[in-house]
Amino acid sequence: MKVKSTRFGELEVAEEQLFDFPYGIPGFPEEKTFVYLPHDAESPFSFLQSTTEANLTFLLADPFSFFKDYEFVIEDEVAKELGISQENPPQVFLIATVKEKLADMTVNLLAPIVINGVNHTGRQVILDKPEYSIRHKLFSDGLQAEEVKGGK
Amino acid sequence: MLALTRKAGERIVIGDDIVVTVVNIKGDNIRLTVEAPKEIKIYRGEIFDAIAEENKQAAFPKDLAELDMLKGPRGATVAKLPRA
Repeated sequence: MKVKSTRFGELEVAEEQLFDFPYGIPGFPEEKTFVYLPHDAESPFSFLQSTTEANLTFLLADPFSFFKDYEFVIEDEVAKELGISQENPPQVFLIATVKEKLADMTVNLLAPIVINGVNHTGRQVILDKPEYSIRHKLFSDGLQAEEVKGGK
Repeated sequence: MLALTRKAGERIVIGDDIVVTVVNIKGDNIRLTVEAPKEIKIYRGEIFDAIAEENKQAAFPKDLAELDMLKGPRGATVAKLPRA
């Protein structure tokens, strides 16, 4: 199928690049299908492009490339709904927000995108972890990853 | 929209399987319990709104020209996260 994207132009997309988000995502409840676009094999970044709204592109970051102790428990209902298990673990991404400069980008640690790469469904899961910010700065010093000390 | 007045201990039933009970009221704080099927997600309104708003901010990322520089964990320091 063909997908129009303001960022990438017209894309010819294969079935296996499409992911269903049966509930949309918060703020975009009508957007139920996205194209997953890796940025580069070596890059921790990738993109989710809406199939219906050319302007709607999310930048995703691989959390484990930046935060090696990022962790959360997926509730049984969410695991069941997405069809994920120990044998079929999910892929996890963070939505990144870039307002002005790339160096100032933030990621949403509280609401990761959780994807089943086998049946191609996904959802943005809202965690019950108040210590995780929805606007966590990825780089504190230029484009070096931020070192966060201590915490509560 | 339906507006109802309830007292502590009273309930609202929504559909066949959602029950909201006013447990107690102390000053400005009202404690509610919600019984609902597990597939119904329940969030504090302000958290859901904040995430929806952040998604809208994130939806049209600008200035990604430098993204190619970021090849991931090899060059970058791995950051530690705050813990609960």
